[in-house]
Amino acid sequence: MTQPNTTELARHRRERMMMWLQLTPVLLVLSVLFGGALILAVMQSLGFAPWFGVNTFPDFSYFGALWGSWSFWQSLGLTLYYAIVSTVIALVMGIFLALAMVRMFPCKTLYKYLYKLPLMIPYTVGIALAVIMLGNGGMISRLSAFFGFIGDPSEFPQILKTHYGWGVIAVYVWKQTPFVTLTIYAVLLGVGRETEEAASILGASKRQIFFQVTMPQILPGIVSSTLIIFAFNIGAFEAPFILGGGFPDTLPVVAWRYFNDADYTLQLQGMATVVSIALIASIILYSYLAFYRRYERRIGRN
Amino acid sequence: MNKFMMGLTVTAGLLSSVAHAEDAEANAFREAFLGGEASWEDVSARAESEGTVNLYYWGGSDPINIWMDQVVATDLAKLGVTLNPVRITGTKDAIDLVLAEMGSGKGLGEGSVDAIWLNGENFATLKRQDALFGAFADKMPNSDFIEWNAEDPRSLLNLRDFGVETGNAEVPWSGEQYVCAANTARVDRADLPSTFAELKAYLEANPGKFTYVKPPHYIGNTFVQAAIYAHNPDGTGAEPFQQSIDDLGAEEMARLITPGLEYLKSIEPLLLGGQSGNARYPEDNGALDGMFLNGEVDMACKFGLYAVATGLNNGTYPEGAEAFVFPEGNMIKNKNYLAIPANAPNPAAALVMANYMTSVEAQVSKLKYTGMPPGVDPWKLSEAEVTALTEASPGLIGVSQADLDANTAPDTNATLVDVIEATWLEYIERDSADDLSVIVSRAVDNLAK
Repeated sequence: MTQPNTTELARHRRERMMMWLQLTPVLLVLSVLFGGALILAVMQSLGFAPWFGVNTFPDFSYFGALWGSWSFWQSLGLTLYYAIVSTVIALVMGIFLALAMVRMFPCKTLYKYLYKLPLMIPYTVGIALAVIMLGNGGMISRLSAFFGFIGDPSEFPQILKTHYGWGVIAVYVWKQTPFVTLTIYAVLLGVGRETEEAASILGASKRQIFFQVTMPQILPGIVSSTLIIFAFNIGAFEAPFILGGGFPDTLPVVAWRYFNDADYTLQLQGMATVVSIALIASIILYSYLAFYRRYERRIGRN
Repeated sequence: MNKFMMGLTVTAGLLSSVAHAEDAEANAFREAFLGGEASWEDVSARAESEGTVNLYYWGGSDPINIWMDQVVATDLAKLGVTLNPVRITGTKDAIDLVLAEMGSGKGLGEGSVDAIWLNGENFATLKRQDALFGAFADKMPNSDFIEWNAEDPRSLLNLRDFGVETGNAEVPWSGEQYVCAANTARVDRADLPSTFAELKAYLEANPGKFTYVKPPHYIGNTFVQAAIYAHNPDGTGAEPFQQSIDDLGAEEMARLITPGLEYLKSIEPLLLGGQSGNARYPEDNGALDGMFLNGEVDMACKFGLYAVATGLNNGTYPEGAEAFVFPEGNMIKNKNYLAIPANAPNPAAALVMANYMTSVEAQVSKLKYTGMPPGVDPWKLSEAEVTALTEASPGLIGVSQADLDANTAPDTNATLVDVIEATWLEYIERDSADDLSVIVSRAVDNLAK
């Protein structure tokens, strides 16, 4: 048995140091900015806010009051409804788009740039577009009134500001479909077309090819992209605030209303709402991921 | 974002065990000024050495922003002070910042907010948290333009802000009245309601053509207050609502506001969107103006004596918009103010700015540019100054000054506004099945915590 010589040991140590040096900036940002804020949020939601003259830590009454009210569960239902429906629509459209993108068609280069356009435009601009186009005082309603289809713009059927949330969903789908497409398209390019062609030669129908060959291959792309957009949708504030239908609001809007109240003690209630959102989102995302990991193991992938 | 900043500030404050050294010089200046020992020359000299004043104000109005950048900044530069206008979406953001910084141990000379444009609950919060610079408002050269004599009933709005004693810790900047405007291209002037009962009759004939801003926004609160005054079961209008909640008591409060809130609940199905079971309340006056301009509603109520003239001028009001008297005898009047927080980084510059804002020159240009009525009192001015103000006014459309003066009502005590707001949210928005007296007492208990 030969002893590793000292230069090798020193090199090994240097490499380790280097690795930690590379990790430190991100670790610092995560632990101080994110971790610190999270700890403070949890403490505030449990009644620690001496700067407002409130310090009843630990006090679960804020969570009790929140979870005990029917409107919280209504808001949670609404939040999940917007998040799930828009994620599913964006996913289906994204898969179709990605499958189309790997084929050859005229003007493909142009189209490849075109579909990414919403990715570069901020959400707020998307929301503004929805208000300008679809609102009751928007372009479409004014044009309909101008051409005499309806008496005045207010008679236009209401699309925005309803609890069906067509406006919210439209903005999410518009913005997130390109993201899903991009992720799945990248996966599709990575795996290549050979397996599909082989399946086709062996006599599989298009349906079988999609569900038994393509789908398992793009599944990592599906999971990672839906994970990200769902996490965003459940915590997003602007779209449901501007385009939502008022009470009951989604949970982020409820939290904002508590924060924005002139009564400072309600900020603790707001913190409890924020912590609840984080809790629910992480439970859902964690179980989604765990479920997927189990599936991966079952089909023998690691 | 500001919440995030606030979180950071607070964390920083908690983490740093080193106590901040108070800015002794700034504190000495404060003592000297409030004690009457510092002359205005001293203030001006210190202001020049401080150099900058950070004014936090609601930045949602283009005319006001333009006036700040073009007129105020130029005039203050002549006084040796650079104006840093910080435009915020809600005044509460500035209050949050002041309190968070105070919480982290930043005292006078060390904070980041020099002055705030505010009134009502926001001032009450600063006062309750002891976060105000002190009684400066009557100690400036231009304080002469404001009535400070408590025996003169006309001084009420200078000494009390939503019923809360100002203690001269804020100076009146503008005086407003709650005025409703109608689109006369859609409604005949003869059909305009002047009482709440007539409004309901109008809505029964024209369902969906009215709505009001959603409380807790102050413009929405004010509509609710007017409805409560008009439905006061004793017929005493605004009178009982000048006391604080401690003096009035939850039970009496519930009795007094019940008819008004029941009325508001009864018109909910007749409001915009109410026919489909989901009445739409705009979030702020911008959203309400949009609905009014688009013809979604026929009438819109907000604080704005000259709102119609200003709105017609810049195209935010529909042609045919005219003000009208509604509700008769209960058009709430109040003032808004400039306050200096206790941890202002540049207190002398803030005083110079507050003094400038109270000058007749600034009041005239403000009125001309923004249509914001003067905060100074006309009887304290010379004849030429009154004429200058009258000439700068964009003018009233549809109502006369005499109409407005005849239908004035005072604002509600700030402690009651909190209760009214919480009650509206629970009784009308959340559609609570509980009895109003239960809701009110619960709100009072929550606020007392």
